[in-house]
Amino acid sequence: MKGLLRTDWIGLLVLVLAGGAALAAARPEFLTAYNIDVILVSFCLTVVYALGQGVMIAIGHMNLALGATGCLVAVAFGGVLEVWHLPLALAIGFGLLLGVACGFVNGWLTYRTGLTSFIITLATLSIFKGAALGITQAQPFYGIPAAVKAFGSDRWGPLPEMLLVALPIVIVIAVFFGRMVVGRQLLAYGGNPHAAELSGIPASRVVILAHTLSGVLAAVAGMLSVARLQNATPSIGDEWLIASFAAPVIGGAVLTGGHLPVIGTCLGVLVVALINQALVMLAVDPFYVQVLLGLLILGAVGLNRLREVRLGTAPAVRLS
Amino acid sequence: MAVTVANARRARLPAALGGALRSNVAGLVIGIAVFTLAFALYTSGFTSRINIYSLSRSIGINGVVGLAMMAVLVTGGLNLALGAIGVCSAMVVGWALQALGLGVAPALLLGLIAGAALGAINGLIVVTTRLHSFVVTLATMSIFFGGMVLLSGAQGFNALPPGLTGFGRMRLFGMISPLLIVLLIVGFALFYLYRFTALGREMLAAGANPVAAKLAGLPVERLFVLCHALSGALGAVAGVLASLRNGAIVPSMAGPLGSDWLLPAFLIPVLGGTLLTGGEVSVLGTVLGAVFVEVMTSGLYMLQIGEFWIQTALGLVLLGAILLERARAGMALARGRQS
Repeated sequence: MKGLLRTDWIGLLVLVLAGGAALAAARPEFLTAYNIDVILVSFCLTVVYALGQGVMIAIGHMNLALGATGCLVAVAFGGVLEVWHLPLALAIGFGLLLGVACGFVNGWLTYRTGLTSFIITLATLSIFKGAALGITQAQPFYGIPAAVKAFGSDRWGPLPEMLLVALPIVIVIAVFFGRMVVGRQLLAYGGNPHAAELSGIPASRVVILAHTLSGVLAAVAGMLSVARLQNATPSIGDEWLIASFAAPVIGGAVLTGGHLPVIGTCLGVLVVALINQALVMLAVDPFYVQVLLGLLILGAVGLNRLREVRLGTAPAVRLS
Repeated sequence: MAVTVANARRARLPAALGGALRSNVAGLVIGIAVFTLAFALYTSGFTSRINIYSLSRSIGINGVVGLAMMAVLVTGGLNLALGAIGVCSAMVVGWALQALGLGVAPALLLGLIAGAALGAINGLIVVTTRLHSFVVTLATMSIFFGGMVLLSGAQGFNALPPGLTGFGRMRLFGMISPLLIVLLIVGFALFYLYRFTALGREMLAAGANPVAAKLAGLPVERLFVLCHALSGALGAVAGVLASLRNGAIVPSMAGPLGSDWLLPAFLIPVLGGTLLTGGEVSVLGTVLGAVFVEVMTSGLYMLQIGEFWIQTALGLVLLGAILLERARAGMALARGRQS
C-alpha cells in the first residue's frame, strides 16, 4: 500500500476519477455509452503517438516529425490500398516499414551530426509533410477496404476494437522499459548519456533505436487514424504535436530524459481526452482546450521540476 | 563572425568583414548568385518586375521572422511561440486601429509593446522555472494563440487605414517593396546592437556561457528576458509586415497556432550561421539566408514542381545546411589539432 502511494501516477488517477465523477454529476449524459466511446477512441489513438513522443523524451530527445511521419505513413497506406490494390497485410507491413525508415533517418542523422534532435526533426518534418502533400496533392484517398473501416468503427459494447492495438502497445512499451535490458539501457542513456557510454552502452544504438521506435509508433498511429477517419487524408498528424508532449509531461516525464512513466502517460492521455470531452459537453469554445492544454503543460512541468528539487534529483541548473 | 567578448572592443568593422568572408556569408552569396542565374535562364518571368516585387516582399517578412528567432537563439534557447506572438501582436494593432480608433503610429507602438510583453512572459517563465524554453514556448504558443482567438472571436480586421495598405502596396523604383526596407532597417539596428553596444555584447556573452557570464557579474536572467522580449517585439514587426502583404489582419495568417513560421524561423538563421547552442549570431547571414530561401522558393514555384514539394525542398535545404555546418566544424577541429 505504501509503495502504491509513492508511485507518481496515483495522484493523477485520483484526478482523472474525480474529474470523471464531477463531470458525471454535473452532466448525467456523460456516462452514456456514446461519450465513453468517444473518450476511448481518442485514447486509443492518442496513447500510441504520445508513447511515440515518450520514447524520445526517455532518452532526452524529441521528435517534431512525429505527426509528419504519421501523415506520410497514413497517405502511403491509403495510397497502396487504393492505387496498387495491395493485400491488407502487405499494406500494413509497408506502412510499418515506412515508419521504421522515417525514424531511422531521424536517429541516424541525429547521431551522426551530434546535433539536437529538435533541428533534425524540424527538417524531416517539412520533408515528410511536403512529400505527403505532394503525393496526394492534398486530396484524401477514399478507397479504404471495408475491413479497415470496420476496425475503426466496430465496438463491443462501449469498447472500440482499436483497443486491440492500443493496449498491447502500452503493455509492450511498459515491459520494454521496465524489464528488458535494451529498454533500461535507453533510460540509462537518457539519464546521463556520458555515464551510459562509459559503462559500455553504445550511443549509436540507443539513439537510432529510440528514434526508430518513435517512427514505428507514429506509423501505427497514422494507420489507426485512417481506420478511424475512414479515409487517408493528409491532414492526419497536424494536431499531434502539443498533445504528444502534454500527455507524457502530465504523466510525470521530465524532458531531460531518463524516465518514461507509461501508466502516467496513459493517464495523461485520459486527462486530455476528458478535458476535450468536458468542454464539448459544456459547449465551451474549443479554443479553451488550447489555452487549458498550454496551462496544463506549464503546470505539469513546473510540478515535476518541483518534485525533482524536493527529491534532490534535479539536474544541473540550465538557464536556456 | 566568431568574436569573443575579450577582444570585442578591438573587433571593429574590418574584422567583421573578414569574419563574414569566412562564415556562411560567402557561401550564401555564391548560392544566391548561382540559383538566381539558373532560375533566370530556365524559367520565364523570374526577373520580371512583378516577381522581383513579390520576392522583395517575402524576403522582408521572412527576414524579420528569421531575425526574431535569432534574437532568442542567442540564449541557446528557442521560441516556438514566435508565430503565435506575431499573429497576436498584429491582432492588437488591428484592434487598436478599429476598436480603439487610434492613429497608425500609436497602434503600431501598441503592437510592438504587446509583442515584447508576450516575449518577456516567455523569458520570465524560462528564467524563474529554469525549464527549457522548448517546453515553455510550446505551452505559451498554445496559450497565446488560443487566448487571442477567444478574445477576438476569430474575427480579423480588414478595414485598415489607407496609409497602411498604401505602404504595403507601394513600389519603389517600380519593383521593390518597402517591406524589404523595413528588414534592412531592423537588420542594421540588430547589427549595431550585437556589435557596438554593451547590451548586445552582454547578451552574446550570457548566451555563450551563462555560468561564466554570471560569475563575471552579468545579470544573465535579466539579459535572457530581454532577448525573449526582443524576439517578441521582432515577431510583432513580422506579424504587421505579413498583414500588410495580405491587406488584412487575420488570425489564420501563420497557420495553426502560428506554426507555419517555424520552418523559415529556424531555417533562415541556421543557414546564416547562427548557432543553436547560443552565443553566436550573424545578422548579415540571416538576411542573406532569407534572400536565399525566398529565391529558392520563388524559383521552384516557377519551375512548377508543385507547391507542396517546395516544403520538402526547404526541409532538404535545412538538412544540407546542418550537414555542411558539421562538416566545416569537423574540418576546423582537424586544422586546430594539426597546428
